[in-house]
Amino acid sequence: MRKKQKIVAALMLLVALHLAILLAGFIAPYNPATQNRDFPFVPPTRFHFADARGHFHLRPFIYQWTVRPEGFNEYEEARGREYPVQFFVRGPEYTIAGLVRSDVHLFGVEGPARIFLAGSDGFGRDQFSRIMYGGQISLAAGLLATGISLFLGLLVGCISGFYGSWIDESAMRLVELFLVLPWLYLLLAVRSFLPLHISPTQTFFLLVAVIGTIGWARPARLVRGIVLSAKGRKYVTASRGFGATDSYILRRHVLPHTYGVLLTQAALLVPQYIVAEVTLSFLGLGVSEPVSSWGNLLANLQQYNVLASYWWMFAPALALVIISLGYLKVANAIHERLQSDSI
Amino acid sequence: MKYLERRVIHGLLLLIGVSILCFALSAAAPGNFFDEMKLNPQISPSTVAGLRARYGFDQPLVWRYGHWVESVLRGEWGYSFAYNCPVRSLLLVRARNTLILTGLATLLAWLIAVPLGVWTANRRGRWDDRLSMASTSLLLSVPELVIALVLLYWAVRIHTLPVGGMASVDFGGLGVQAKLFDLALHLVVPVTTLVLASLPLLVRHIRASMIEVLQAPFVQAARAHGIGGARLLFRYALPAAANPLSSLLGLSVGALLSGSLLVEVITGWPGLGPLLLDAALARDIYVVVGAVMASTLFMIFGGILADILLVAVDPRVRLGKV
Amino acid sequence: MRIEETARHALKPALAKAAGLSKRYVQRAPFSYKSFVIDALVDVEFDIAPASLTALVGESGSGKSTLARCLAMLEKADRGEIWFEGKEVSRSSDRELKALRPKIQMVFQDSAGALNPGFTAAQIIAEPLEVQRRESGARLHSRACELMEEVGLSPNWADRRPLEFSGGQRQRLAIARAIALKPAFLILDESVSGLDLSTQAQILNLLLDLQKAHSLTYLLISHDLGLVGQIADFVAVMQQGKIVEQGPRREVFANPRHHHTRELLASVRLLRSNFRTAQAGGR
Ligand SMILES: Nc1ncnc2c1ncn2[C@@H]1O[C@H](COP(=O)(O)OP(=O)(O)OP(=O)(O)O)[C@@H](O)[C@H]1O
Ligand SMILES: [Mg+2]
Repeated sequence: MRKKQKIVAALMLLVALHLAILLAGFIAPYNPATQNRDFPFVPPTRFHFADARGHFHLRPFIYQWTVRPEGFNEYEEARGREYPVQFFVRGPEYTIAGLVRSDVHLFGVEGPARIFLAGSDGFGRDQFSRIMYGGQISLAAGLLATGISLFLGLLVGCISGFYGSWIDESAMRLVELFLVLPWLYLLLAVRSFLPLHISPTQTFFLLVAVIGTIGWARPARLVRGIVLSAKGRKYVTASRGFGATDSYILRRHVLPHTYGVLLTQAALLVPQYIVAEVTLSFLGLGVSEPVSSWGNLLANLQQYNVLASYWWMFAPALALVIISLGYLKVANAIHERLQSDSI
Repeated sequence: MKYLERRVIHGLLLLIGVSILCFALSAAAPGNFFDEMKLNPQISPSTVAGLRARYGFDQPLVWRYGHWVESVLRGEWGYSFAYNCPVRSLLLVRARNTLILTGLATLLAWLIAVPLGVWTANRRGRWDDRLSMASTSLLLSVPELVIALVLLYWAVRIHTLPVGGMASVDFGGLGVQAKLFDLALHLVVPVTTLVLASLPLLVRHIRASMIEVLQAPFVQAARAHGIGGARLLFRYALPAAANPLSSLLGLSVGALLSGSLLVEVITGWPGLGPLLLDAALARDIYVVVGAVMASTLFMIFGGILADILLVAVDPRVRLGKV
Repeated sequence: MRIEETARHALKPALAKAAGLSKRYVQRAPFSYKSFVIDALVDVEFDIAPASLTALVGESGSGKSTLARCLAMLEKADRGEIWFEGKEVSRSSDRELKALRPKIQMVFQDSAGALNPGFTAAQIIAEPLEVQRRESGARLHSRACELMEEVGLSPNWADRRPLEFSGGQRQRLAIARAIALKPAFLILDESVSGLDLSTQAQILNLLLDLQKAHSLTYLLISHDLGLVGQIADFVAVMQQGKIVEQGPRREVFANPRHHHTRELLASVRLLRSNFRTAQAGGR
């Protein structure tokens, strides 16, 4: 019972995170590309309930950051005016999933103050908004690449396990080859063979394709094993006896057995592939500015002064860890479930 | 020994497979390789033209591959366009540095993971096991990239550790002892990152294998005979889990190499990682292939090492049962 | 009566026939290059009269199931011919096979393994109809329910999965599936062994009823000579991949020619007498 609750909790967390990132435009208070050259590297906004006169406010409010006169990129709160945090405020226009247009945001404050949940970057862009929008790129890359890997793995695994003989033999040698290579080396190598100077959209899809193609081997091997054992079942022989075709047998008797493994693999692969995208973008081989992804957000930390002075630039890492944790929990849960089923 | 011979031959075949794969992938890539290279300010147009002729990029893939194999046999491992020298001279130093890093990290990770895994398996379900499981599962979802960045931040903060590279500026003038100390200081951040990143999976696998072994009849029998504690765990049970653990060692080397690439880039460790990254950005194809081959070689060595250890621990393998 | 019966069958040509059928399995032990061979069928000569019930008996491992699978064309023999309805069919093309398959159906020895545990009873029974495109949609389900009734299962159970049924009920399920395509020739591999006596009797009655209704030809594989003695028209005895004796049941039982048949019959009698003395002693 407790176990089941844990799975549900992990699943809910994942769904909530994905939904939030899908609705980035609504949740993020600002446009991720809008720069505020006056406010580079602003620390995260602080929320207050008690004002300078000692009055208590039920609605939290913030102070605007101003540059500290003697410091460089150092800020202090301008205590002169309180800006209460408001919900469902109008702001810059956005579209959700390319369909719904709106300008209502979940929260915000009146201008000229700005609310920086996770601070701002070197161009004064709101990092929270950038993380939300960047999450769309990183998650989409992870999910799409997982789809490619699972599709390829399913295809190769089915053909290999079902038809056997030399097809199986050569496919499994290829699997071994892909499994033995350190994946990041392979990823970089493949990426280096592809054109470097292309549009961000092209880069994104190339990236997804490369990451997805490199990871096909493990699902393929697992699917093959399952297909192999499923096709040896008596009921498959029986089905042949009724005149069933290969495609019927695959569809009705073999594929259903692979779903469990595919699901576990998906839950394992998505966070891995998100990390792969993040890594490549971090290294400058992936999605590049002005489009944000968690990888190129983290790439800010490659500058020594950013790493040393602006701790909030680690915020994208937190998002990455939370997503990974959610997927890991779900993967574990599915795995346990499958094992108890098979006993 | 027959068994090792077979492993070595298998490794060689794998290497050949990887090289063919690399060439096939490079040929399958869209766009002209040299067009991109012309954009690279590091490479002069005459070099591009010369290389084009020399490496026969108008020739079919098979010809190029043959040419490359020939150069490998000559000990050149192809030619670096960006550095204007044979790839081997680049690879050797870098591979050595990567080996130092990953070797040390592997050793440390296993030295920590084995006792931890064995101990938590024995204490299954108690508070210390739960604590270890909870922390490994948390650590498991922190990518190397993040671990490395956080550690680097920490190093920056405490001021006593170097923040990158492999040696201090005055390294040349130091005595042997001071040199080693300097190297050790530089190793702290990258090695800790790699150990932390590989630890959770190792501990979990070791724990799982040990739990299985601890339920085996012979362990129960040993218990019944009054053998207990560390002696039972390490002398009786652990060797019985040698087989799954040795394949884990082989796999962990692979994971560690991938992690090492990233850590090297982040911490400026002059290993294969930065070399490969630069080569990838400069599209220096033979360096890319060379780095991939070197990493594969490490993997294969890792596997063979694991097998040798297994043979040393588990005599059943020697008798050809596997 | 006996002569009449023999004559009746002898007039018609055999429905199914095996000639010189051989099958060898090569097995390789794991992690070893050594392999060993099992001759499961050795030059088997066998024929089955139409609308009859032929029993195939023999000790375990004598090749009965292998012969059945070859006759049902679920497995290819290495050598030899298989005739069905006067045609040589062992080298049929896929197309010919597709037309042939509905006529020959088999109920497997291991009924639990031969039913997909993920399917419902109705799906299982409907599968042959679906595969052969005989029915579709809602008709498929209603036809499956009819078949369930025919073999004495309640259609209320149509949505249960095979593991929720008892062994005897699964056996009925398998039989319902096998008769769904209205085959001419039905092979039953140990379909009644391992069940309690009353269930056995029910299933045998069911089979005989079906035979009357659809003029089926049966090949009944069994260990149990006692049972065979009651219902079979013909008996064939297998030993080590060979058919060592074949003929009308009364003839074989009354006058066994092969010593293996004599041994088998003797062991049945021995069992019976032991059983009787045990009963007598107990009383
Ligand atoms: N698929 C197979 N692969 C290898 N050997 C097989 C295979 N099927 C059957 N055999 C072997 O062929 C021989 C005959 O097997 P078969 O199943 O036909 O015997 P059987 O008479 O049906 O026995 P039982 O009464 O126990 O069912 C056995 O020795 C068996 O081990
Ligand atoms: Mg049998």
